[in-house]
Amino acid sequence: MSSSSPSSPSSPLKISDTTENNLQPFYVLHKAFPKKPDRKTRKKIEFSPTSDTHHHYDELRVEAFELVWSKIDARIKGVLTDINTNVFDEIHQWVCESFGAIRSLGVPSSLEVNRSYPLVTDITSSCSRRIFTGLVFTKNVEFVDDLLTFKELGVHLKSNGCHVVNMSSLDFLSKNGIGGCVRSVLRQLVGVSVDVGDIGILAAWYSEIENFESPIVVIIDDVERCSESVLAEFVLMLSEWVVKLPIVLVMGVSSFAKIVNAPRDLLPFGVLQHLNPCKFTLGSPTAILDGIIESLFVKSYCGFDISYKVMVLMKNYFVRHDGTVTSFIRALKIACTKHFLMEPLSFLSKGILDEDNESFWIEKCGGLPESMLKYAFDLPSCEISDEISLTGESLARDLSEIMKMRKNWSSVFMCLYEAAKFHNVQLLEILCEALNPDSYNLRVSSNRQSGVGELYSVDQKGSQIYLAIRKVRDLSFSALSRLVQFWKNHSERIAEIHCQVIELESMLNSEHENKSLKLDETKKSRISASRTREKNTTKANEKAATLLEFMVKEYLKPVECAQFHEIVCFKHVGVLQSSLIGDPRKIIQVDLLKSHNYLHCSCCSKSGDVLLPSMHDTSIMYTLVQEHGDLINLHDWYQSFKTNICRPSTKGKRKIQSPLSKKRKELSESEVMSEASIQARFCRAVIELQITGLLRMPSKRRPDYVQRVAFGL
Amino acid sequence: MDANEPEEEFGFSRNYFLAKESRGSKKKSAQKISDIDLVDEQELRDSAARIVTKHEKEIISLTNSYKSLYTKWAFELRCGFGLLMYGFGSKKSLIEDFASSALTDYAVIVINGYLQSINLKHVVIAMAEVLWDQLKTKRKTSTGNLCKTKPPFSSQSMEDGLAFLDESQANESDCIVCVVVHNIDGPGLRESQQHLARIASCSHVRMVASIDHVNAPLLWDKKMVHTQFNWCWYHVPTFSPYNIEGVFFPLILAYGGTTQNAKTATIVLQSLTPNAQSVFKVLAEYQLSHSDEEGMPINNLYSICRERFLVSSQVTLNSHLTEFKDHELVKTRRHSDGQDCYYIPLSPEALEKLIQEIG
Repeated sequence: MSSSSPSSPSSPLKISDTTENNLQPFYVLHKAFPKKPDRKTRKKIEFSPTSDTHHHYDELRVEAFELVWSKIDARIKGVLTDINTNVFDEIHQWVCESFGAIRSLGVPSSLEVNRSYPLVTDITSSCSRRIFTGLVFTKNVEFVDDLLTFKELGVHLKSNGCHVVNMSSLDFLSKNGIGGCVRSVLRQLVGVSVDVGDIGILAAWYSEIENFESPIVVIIDDVERCSESVLAEFVLMLSEWVVKLPIVLVMGVSSFAKIVNAPRDLLPFGVLQHLNPCKFTLGSPTAILDGIIESLFVKSYCGFDISYKVMVLMKNYFVRHDGTVTSFIRALKIACTKHFLMEPLSFLSKGILDEDNESFWIEKCGGLPESMLKYAFDLPSCEISDEISLTGESLARDLSEIMKMRKNWSSVFMCLYEAAKFHNVQLLEILCEALNPDSYNLRVSSNRQSGVGELYSVDQKGSQIYLAIRKVRDLSFSALSRLVQFWKNHSERIAEIHCQVIELESMLNSEHENKSLKLDETKKSRISASRTREKNTTKANEKAATLLEFMVKEYLKPVECAQFHEIVCFKHVGVLQSSLIGDPRKIIQVDLLKSHNYLHCSCCSKSGDVLLPSMHDTSIMYTLVQEHGDLINLHDWYQSFKTNICRPSTKGKRKIQSPLSKKRKELSESEVMSEASIQARFCRAVIELQITGLLRMPSKRRPDYVQRVAFGL
Repeated sequence: MDANEPEEEFGFSRNYFLAKESRGSKKKSAQKISDIDLVDEQELRDSAARIVTKHEKEIISLTNSYKSLYTKWAFELRCGFGLLMYGFGSKKSLIEDFASSALTDYAVIVINGYLQSINLKHVVIAMAEVLWDQLKTKRKTSTGNLCKTKPPFSSQSMEDGLAFLDESQANESDCIVCVVVHNIDGPGLRESQQHLARIASCSHVRMVASIDHVNAPLLWDKKMVHTQFNWCWYHVPTFSPYNIEGVFFPLILAYGGTTQNAKTATIVLQSLTPNAQSVFKVLAEYQLSHSDEEGMPINNLYSICRERFLVSSQVTLNSHLTEFKDHELVKTRRHSDGQDCYYIPLSPEALEKLIQEIG
């Protein structure tokens, strides 16, 4: 319809204003406008509660996000540092030893140092020209996670006085040759940008007195992606200079085979001779991820939770899609950002990190405007129906309740996970189950029906929690004592459980004493002694299992079962998924095939799958594509397009009960629609499909056909 | 998402084979483009320029509906994410509107990725200069005096520029240059993704980009996606016509889409370096004065260009010629004496007009 309306042409006016800029490769749209001082605006907000309330709470949410995320970030960094410290120290020690070994070959005299060529003395034997090379096994096919590790390693070595160069495969491109990597070394160490990479400059720099006492460490994070020839040349060159420039290499290698057989695939044999390798191993990504999850969601509470479904998405994303810790952290950050953006009351999370959280909540909830209180009590999790109870205080009380519940959950989960470790359960697996509100509800309901001791119905017997509890029954005496000791340390905040754990401990201890007494009495038959022991442990095991069951039943209540949990818990799994992984291939096609869903126009919305002339041209064209095989004859395609756009809209006519004049107008306009304009519209739709990459253009061999690229959504 | 994954995959392959099959079973249509009553190219272009956008009102209201997301986008940029906009329709005016209205605290540089050749070194240096200005103003207002007057990066080196953009000083972390990249998957940028990723990862830089190609994500590896671009995806179909983005694509019904017209050639030439333009001019002048010949032999071209100090070596000339060929500005054919020679596939009139325009 609008195609035939005489409205203004597409939008050339808008474009012509800035044509100049549109054809510039780049231009400055605007410079930063000087900021108004923040303080003033804030004061203003406080004084004008009505209009600026929203803005005020927006600011509070931003503040809360920054606080919470900085806390999460710090914890992640802490975990990474803890995991890496040992291997970093090991590498540093090895660097020092290597430096000592190089120096033991002889220190060049000042005269020799000033010559701009490598040292050639009697030490030309191959062993003295070998470069100490640390091969760091990253246990990771994806090198993304290790980028940060190698950067940190650089910082660690630098803080210990080494000269450090961090390099990546981008410095070893065959098109830049050896000059590229030497330039990179010079830029990082000497701080000069030169056109010609000359290692002599580095030698001169190193001979300066303040640089002379430390080794030079060159870290290459993803050595498998480097150009082999450039790397080989680099190693050969360094080996020439090794006495004058005591360079130690550290290379990240992902494949264990390459470490075992020496990196033969990486370098030719002649070059390998110049390496003196030493192996180091980093933590595996799963171990790192477990550490991070434990620190963020299990051991303590950082003010931000994710729901069961979000956790499952993130788990699957890690396990099946990506496998990198970096992407997991990224997903978490997106979730956190979205939470504080979408949840109006999320600023209350700040209270969790506040020392005196109760008074924080009482103050903040008490001051909430009517609309926000109403919002809170409209949350799906809110069960209060009584109007009188709808106060800020009750909200504050419930938030404190969430926090208490969450802490109890943490303690019990730690106890459970410790027991599950005997069963080699993955942290993520059992965590997901512990977060699942449905399985919690099922546990509670089945318990009500069948009494204590039957926490699990038949269909739940495969659950990780069930298996963990069952495993406790089979634990050996020493394992059980260790477990009970752990429980004792982690159940302190729940008195009820703590008492029972202490009882259990004394029960175990007395059994232990009995056992040793019996052993002293000895001489009794060995078999009977071991039988007694078995029997006793079974009793203790039984008690331990019942206790764990009790803990799970009473305290492993997922945060999603609490009132107002939406305030602290991110639940929008769809939002996270779409921001994390866009799916342009599918979605752009859906855009085209269902354009009326987005445009909401009155003319095409009710068409269903029938093509109407009023539809977007490219939409019509792409819908027509679906009728073809992988090749589309341009002539046929054009003809069907023409038929479609020239056809008067029958459906529209019927609906409007067409006034005669309008009908006539439509008909005459479609007649008037010139061949040129139809061809132009066809051409433009083809261009648009070409931009989206959904078509391959005619080739010389097939000048009359375009090719489809996507088949199905 | 996981339960139906295998099913989806099966669907894909089934559809593919069905499509292949339908080609074999049905009789392949042998109609030719030339069977359509094709209108004159100029008329086609004129009509193309006059196409009326359907649903203009709805498109405007759809685009306006995204305005409510501006504050979210700005917040996510502030958190260190890059924004990646996708969905059918030109997103150029949407993103520029967002940048002009919600990113006033930052300087904003726009890269038109749909153009054929973009020199990222120039972009980086321009960004560094803008940041330098910003820091200078900030220091002046905070300390009351101007520190250094000379920027700490050379105007020649991309590395220096990147290093400057990536400097992290706690008190200056709020000085941000936002770079908007229209069609980051555009032809002029496909080879430059590593550089773009490095730009995006600088501490003083935030990136907002748009993609239109369905396979655009294949341009990036995990390092780029997770640690450098750090995309937050947004599906924002606009259904606006790709007016500017489509300028460089040939019209498929204009002689089978093989010929370049003078206008596109002008635009491409304008985006090239002055030297390249002059080399093109040499070739054009030769072609006009020797209209009966097949083209200009490369030796001839080289010697003239050298005389005029346009190129210093055969290699430089070849690189210009490759660029021309890539953009279909010139073509080669075999001279009667067996030598390769270059010609411009335009009519003498169009060529004359073109020389005037770039001159």
